[in-house]
Amino acid sequence: MALLQTHGLTKRFGGLLAVDHVDLEIDSGEAVGIVGPNGSGKSTLFNLITGVHYPDEGKVFFDGREITQLAAHERAHLGIGRTFQIPRPFGSLTVRENVAIGAMFGTKEGQRDVEEALQFADEQLKRIGFYERRERRGRELTPTEMKMMEIARALAMRPRLLLLDEAMAGMPPKDIDALVELLKSIKQKEQIAVIAMVEHIMRAVVSFAEKVIVLYQGKKMIEAPPEQALSDPRVVDVYLGRESTE
Amino acid sequence: MKRLEKFLPLLPVYLFYGLLFLFGRSVEGMWQPAALAAFYAALGQAFNVFLGMTGYVDFGYVAFMALGAYGMALTISNFYTIAWLDGWLILMGLIAAALFSGALSVAVGAIALRLRGAYFAIATVGVNEGFRFLLEGVKLWGGSEGIVISSKLRTAFGTEGASELSTFWADVFVFLIAGLAAFVTLRYMQSRIGYALTALREDEDAAKSMGIYTTKYKLIAFITSSALAGLIGATAWTLKLTYVFPADAFAIHYTVEAIVIVILGGAGTLMGPVVGGVLYAVLKYGLGVTFPGLQLLILAPIILAIIVLFPEGIVGVLKTRVQGTVLQKFIV
Repeated sequence: MALLQTHGLTKRFGGLLAVDHVDLEIDSGEAVGIVGPNGSGKSTLFNLITGVHYPDEGKVFFDGREITQLAAHERAHLGIGRTFQIPRPFGSLTVRENVAIGAMFGTKEGQRDVEEALQFADEQLKRIGFYERRERRGRELTPTEMKMMEIARALAMRPRLLLLDEAMAGMPPKDIDALVELLKSIKQKEQIAVIAMVEHIMRAVVSFAEKVIVLYQGKKMIEAPPEQALSDPRVVDVYLGRESTE
Repeated sequence: MKRLEKFLPLLPVYLFYGLLFLFGRSVEGMWQPAALAAFYAALGQAFNVFLGMTGYVDFGYVAFMALGAYGMALTISNFYTIAWLDGWLILMGLIAAALFSGALSVAVGAIALRLRGAYFAIATVGVNEGFRFLLEGVKLWGGSEGIVISSKLRTAFGTEGASELSTFWADVFVFLIAGLAAFVTLRYMQSRIGYALTALREDEDAAKSMGIYTTKYKLIAFITSSALAGLIGATAWTLKLTYVFPADAFAIHYTVEAIVIVILGGAGTLMGPVVGGVLYAVLKYGLGVTFPGLQLLILAPIILAIIVLFPEGIVGVLKTRVQGTVLQKFIV
């Protein structure tokens, strides 16, 4: 039984078909890259899975249970954690408090009281090498630091599925490598399924994902192992344009 | 020791109230000004639980004070002849006040808290005006003539007792309610409730995706804040003035004053509304004495200047300054 399943997921914004009958099947502990050019429907798909938007058609199942109509916080309680494309830290709170909020309110089994959550946050921050910056305020961080903090915050929720929305965009290569290593180790130790949405950083996808799904104009174009998916002529077309036939 | 350390931030707050109380009792003619300062501080603290902690502006906040005032007035009107109740009559009135305003806040909150930002603010103005016209229109609770309880208080507590109640004890109650509001605020700040509220104030959608049931926590803050407002209305208005008139009780300027106090002192801080409330009272009272008739004209630019100089409020700025010093434990 897959951890996350979507059947015919469809979302329209006015006349724009943002997500068009997408079927997904993600297993526990699986690492998936969702790739697609700007406007291909990646963010909308994420928002449908996390409960920011509700689909016009189709269903979402998590751990065998239908969650199509559940509110965002209820999905979080079941074990869906996420980060945001444009980081959204709680600006007036410290890094430590931001991460502790994940531990206070995340999955039902993982919820802790304030003291325990703060301690748990310290452990998480040590693990990702962020401990020295724990007293900095959310709004004082650099964009890259905000993204790392968001990952730590989402992991503190003890999720079973982690959705990373452009977590690597704008990061220096060194940090991307470190992040990929972190994700690999999480996957191995805790069996958390990770869906990373990526527009351009293909190197990270290849080294991390077991499966790549390419979205184009709201439709699933291809689903295959990374090398195969990224060298598929249709995918090359989408990114580079069609080769001249002259 | 660790347990007691949590309560350190209450020390400056209670010290402040203690000094204000002593000043009012020991300096001739200063009891009323001190009581006014305590009223504004209590009002600021009660409102801060909602405005400061959630970032939502309720323009109909005074309605909760009004309902509290009516809760007390109706309790006294209905039960003042029962002699053995004695002081318990006041306690019953306080409970009724909290229940009245609490009930209204549940009704308003369950609907209006689904709205965000300006839409919420507009919806709440409607509640205040609507409730006032309802009372006057259907002649409920004395209609536009309100409820006068002075003679009933004399029957219940004797002439002397009634006079002491409205000139002294009513004000003491306001001090106590202010103290209670501070205690509740601190407990909220240090619990999951406070973290949930801060998170949703900063970014409501991000808070939801972290598993925070935002409507629930907004409602907790709203009900708490409203019940405290009800207690203030019951004491600072009904008991002190011995009457409730709808035109006074639903006057929107108290809401505006409460907003100014919270912003002035520092929204979301514990000490902020205390400083804001006392400063506001001193300015308003002081200017009223020295420049009668012109006080509001002079008050406005002073408040503007303070807000420009201290964008996060006086205590908000102070709190940032004392980060990393010994004082950090006392100012939150």
